[in-house]
Amino acid sequence: MSISESVIKTDHKRKITGEALYVADYPTAGLLFGRLLRSAKARARLIAVKPPELPSGYFYVDKNDVKGLNRVHIVQDDLPVFAEDTVEFIGDAIGMMVGPDRDTVEELAGKVTVEYEELTPVIRVEDSDTIFVDYHYDKGDAEKAFREADRVIEEVFETGHQEQAYLETQGIIARPEGERIVIHGSMQCPYYVHRAVAQATGYRPEQVRVKYDTTGGAFGGKEDYPSILAAQAAVAAIKAGRPVRVIFDRREDMEFTGKRHPSKCRYKAAIKNGRVTAMDIDVIYNSGAYITLSPVVIQRGIIGASGVYTIDNLKVRGRAVKTNTVPNGAFRGFGGPQTFFAVEMMMGHIAARLGEDALGFKLKHIAKKGDVTSTGGIHHFPVPLPAMIKQVCEACDFKSKREKYNTQTGTKRRGIGISLAYHGAGFTGRGEHELIKAVIRLHKYPDGRVEILTANTDMGQGLDTTFSKIAAGELNISLDRIIVEPADTDRVLDSGPTAASRSIMVVGELVRRGAARLRDEWREGDEQVIEEHFKEPDFVIPFNIKEFKGDAYPTCAWSVCAVEVELDTITGVARVLDACGSYDCGTPIDRRILIGQMEGGFMQAIGYASMEQMAADSSGRIRNNSLSDYIIPTAVDVPGLRCLLHEEAYPAGPFGAKGAGELPAVGGAAAYLEAMEQALGGVPLNHIPFSAENAIDILEKRGNAQ
Amino acid sequence: MVSYLPQSLSEALELLASTGAIPYGGGTDLMVEGKNDASYLFLHKIPELGVIAGDADYIRIGASCTFTRVADHPLCPGILKEAILQIAAPAIRNLGTIGGNIGNGSPKADSALIFFVTGSRLRLVSKRGERIIPIKDFYLGRRSLDLRPGELIAEVLIPKMGYDRYYYRKVGARDALAISRLSFAGIIKTQGDRIVNLATAFGAVSDVIIRREDIDAMLIGKTLAEAKTVRDNYLAAYAEAIVPIRGRVSEKYRKRVCMNLLRDFLDTMNI
Repeated sequence: MSISESVIKTDHKRKITGEALYVADYPTAGLLFGRLLRSAKARARLIAVKPPELPSGYFYVDKNDVKGLNRVHIVQDDLPVFAEDTVEFIGDAIGMMVGPDRDTVEELAGKVTVEYEELTPVIRVEDSDTIFVDYHYDKGDAEKAFREADRVIEEVFETGHQEQAYLETQGIIARPEGERIVIHGSMQCPYYVHRAVAQATGYRPEQVRVKYDTTGGAFGGKEDYPSILAAQAAVAAIKAGRPVRVIFDRREDMEFTGKRHPSKCRYKAAIKNGRVTAMDIDVIYNSGAYITLSPVVIQRGIIGASGVYTIDNLKVRGRAVKTNTVPNGAFRGFGGPQTFFAVEMMMGHIAARLGEDALGFKLKHIAKKGDVTSTGGIHHFPVPLPAMIKQVCEACDFKSKREKYNTQTGTKRRGIGISLAYHGAGFTGRGEHELIKAVIRLHKYPDGRVEILTANTDMGQGLDTTFSKIAAGELNISLDRIIVEPADTDRVLDSGPTAASRSIMVVGELVRRGAARLRDEWREGDEQVIEEHFKEPDFVIPFNIKEFKGDAYPTCAWSVCAVEVELDTITGVARVLDACGSYDCGTPIDRRILIGQMEGGFMQAIGYASMEQMAADSSGRIRNNSLSDYIIPTAVDVPGLRCLLHEEAYPAGPFGAKGAGELPAVGGAAAYLEAMEQALGGVPLNHIPFSAENAIDILEKRGNAQ
Repeated sequence: MVSYLPQSLSEALELLASTGAIPYGGGTDLMVEGKNDASYLFLHKIPELGVIAGDADYIRIGASCTFTRVADHPLCPGILKEAILQIAAPAIRNLGTIGGNIGNGSPKADSALIFFVTGSRLRLVSKRGERIIPIKDFYLGRRSLDLRPGELIAEVLIPKMGYDRYYYRKVGARDALAISRLSFAGIIKTQGDRIVNLATAFGAVSDVIIRREDIDAMLIGKTLAEAKTVRDNYLAAYAEAIVPIRGRVSEKYRKRVCMNLLRDFLDTMNI
């Protein structure tokens, strides 16, 4: 059978029957409950923190209990485990109350008095005076191109926060066991947590054990945050000498954990003979109060800032700046959705100013195999966008609708838009080669069963199943002979994080290679262990992060999305009538899993563009911290969602697979907004989320409401 | 804390008077509060509160009837069904009750808007007896109800007038599981081309649902052609009457959309 043919997921039964243990499912007998004491001020000096008199068995934990380094290691040593002299956002962790009775812990946490010396917080990026990272790169000679341009077009684009809204909130249990500390909980990256906990506790790496529990969704939100929470819980558990459990309720989770970075991008394009000859792009991401993953998020954002197009001359700058708001982190697409939104809108707007059809104009600029990328690398593989555009246009009757919707009156007005995007598969640049150096093992038992030992986690995306299929497929044995146990750092080597759409393409390929070797070396009845190490594919032009030169990614996953809306001019409310996407993730390892991924990501992209609104108020507080106030789309809101696949096999990936998970979150927003532009009579729009209120404002200004 | 599960209305009223427990219909609001120390009076086992019936003057809906039952019931008018089917999602409609929607006291209650526009009455019962009041008088202000100690909402009485020509729009943040950001209901009844009844109501805009019989009276008794001549005055009166309170969307947006909906209602009804 073909590898792509769908199977019942290997974790299906465990989850359906309730056997699967999420972190909140562990018995609480003997556990202490932990409650973080958080800053009520966006920016302040801590003058005094006084916990109340504590009953026996209750502990207050803070910076003085951090025996290692009071810094959580994410990309760099960054935020404190517990605040030192200052607090930098509303929610910054000052300490933690722990004890056996949950209500008493809550009550005691409420009785800690904190004396602040308030400082003026920076809430808007425009007011920021701290640049965390500042990257620049050039391609060709942008200055010359601008000098020689027929015309120059400049616009600014803005995007908002986006909350991951995973079903299961963040949760960690830390258990002291003799000289060791055992951490388990909801997470994407056990070895990230391992490193952060060792650093905060001062324990040697072998004293730290991290196990992933069944995880109910993450979308990037559990890439960095569990490192912070685990470090805090570990410090508390060591102080108390008892296991400590910290599980957030929805409000705490939504208000204080990392989200997608809001952005502001200024685009300047040089036009010569009807073509874009250069772009000067200035990208600013709101990092929030700490650096967390911002450097790598913005790297991906600026590398993709010229979109799917080959623009010969580029001048690109990207900054992540500090504000006294919740620190942002990883979210599906990881810096890509912001700039892809901007460049897609920009290309459409340029076309409109030149009197050209947007899609036709984009087609003239699309990259082709062999073209030089934004960073001077090479598109080594075919770029299948033209075929995918054809596929989507036919599936949703794009061209005739686009034409038809140009002239409309009445209270229901339709629009259709299309956007093109890629997602660079795997870590940016030489991350895999220099930092991660992934290692996996396959363990064959005498009974012929084979265990896959990786540090990668299944948070609902189906990785246990797809890894099993890769191994079974290469070994030519049945799926039930493959074992995947929850990742446990005592048992698995570091195959890297479950992030960057790398798991299948990079780790899956190691699994495949290992399985191929095991098949060749198979000795019936013996126990065998196979180890595989990452090796950069030979064709890759090594990336230089200082210069932003070389192949930023070995290959890309591609997408084309179309969205059709109907706008009610009376209320400003827009309904999505049709949403159709084509996705190239190489060969699907399991078609149903892949389609599920694409549908979910496309929904998130539509929510990002339309209804998902979250912002700190002038005091720095996020008020819409519940799922009744932070609105994400339901199945009723996007009834016509259709995801198609285009399969461009990638020779260096397992069975031809490449990155998948993030792709659908990258491109959909611009398609939605382009559809809204048309429904509003061709007005250029520059920001998301774009609300009913925004639509009514425009209708009012244009005087053609009713 | 002790909660109670009465089997009859008289038992419930007795318990309510003696314990002051919180009346609990479907629990879709109270569950969210998640209070550990609350004492509840569960109402779902009381047969008298679960009846939908008609008499000569009214369609009577028991307070414990769920949204799903009301939406499925042949006696209930179309405007009510349409509003109810836009509440939350099926799981919540299977539990949430009419009495609870009213008793919550919110101007965003989608069924209450329909009871306002149809001029419905509430039957309130206590150990001491019962009283029947217009729903408009039941809502006194923000989260303030004319519900006396020991009183339960027993029934909603919808006047039997025929509501074939109606206009209903809810604006939520999405198409399911959405709280109204504003809502509008309008009904009209004509004989020949004369308007014999016209009523409008605006939900989720002010502290209580806006229902202005005095303004609607400008159009009642007039022919459609006559009504057109006072249309501008009518709209101007509402433009003054609608003063949105602060909410999750701006006052300006809500005001404008209320007026857009009112105009569209008039257009649709050929006024």
